[in-house]
Amino acid sequence: MRGSDLLGAPVVSRSGAALGRVLDVRLVQDGPLLGAFAAMRVEGLVVGHRRTSARLGYDRVEAHGPWLVATVVRWLARDNRYLPWEQASLEGHRVVSGLDELLRVPFIT
Amino acid sequence: MTGRVRDLALHLLDRQVVDTEGKAVGNVDDVELVVPEDGSPPYVVAILTGPQALARRLGGLLGQWLGFWSHALSRPDSSEPGRIPMELVTDIDTQITVARTRQELGVHRNEDRARQYLILRIPGARHARQ
Repeated sequence: MRGSDLLGAPVVSRSGAALGRVLDVRLVQDGPLLGAFAAMRVEGLVVGHRRTSARLGYDRVEAHGPWLVATVVRWLARDNRYLPWEQASLEGHRVVSGLDELLRVPFIT
Repeated sequence: MTGRVRDLALHLLDRQVVDTEGKAVGNVDDVELVVPEDGSPPYVVAILTGPQALARRLGGLLGQWLGFWSHALSRPDSSEPGRIPMELVTDIDTQITVARTRQELGVHRNEDRARQYLILRIPGARHARQ
């Protein structure tokens, strides 16, 4: 599987309601050892509707400027949500969420 | 203890990959994930680089166009994207550092071949820095 198989994939609830698309894939470096480092394992999916705003990351990291850009982009990304991987299942090209209501996107600290 | 958290598109894709000599190897155009059979979450096993990887990620007409030309200009042995195993990655920051030289990685065979057989034969090409 490639990262691009997940990015952009439609996300639906178990009842078939559209929840958005995969805008990003949250990775945590605590997987199996690969060489000197632990592998980056998939922890969850950032789900939303506006791909451009997600690429700037203001909704997920502490970024302090430029003020106007941060404000506009955070507003555009206000609907972005988070789907933990254990609640996601792949069915063909789409992701089915085990949660009917997705979570707030955890900040990367 | 939890490991470092990164987002794929935000912190990895499109970052530059440099070799042990600090020379550019390419960009992170996609990543390869392994899905363990025991049901545990997938994890990243390799960086994919080159137009073959980028074409699939872009999708749409642009991706098809890029995929067509990269395939048409490739030899059969180099039609797959360049693959850099994560075991070779020594640092992930604003750029990704790998513990091999570009030649050892051999991830841009088409580009290297074009340089060898086409670009370097243009008069003056070997004196580009002078």
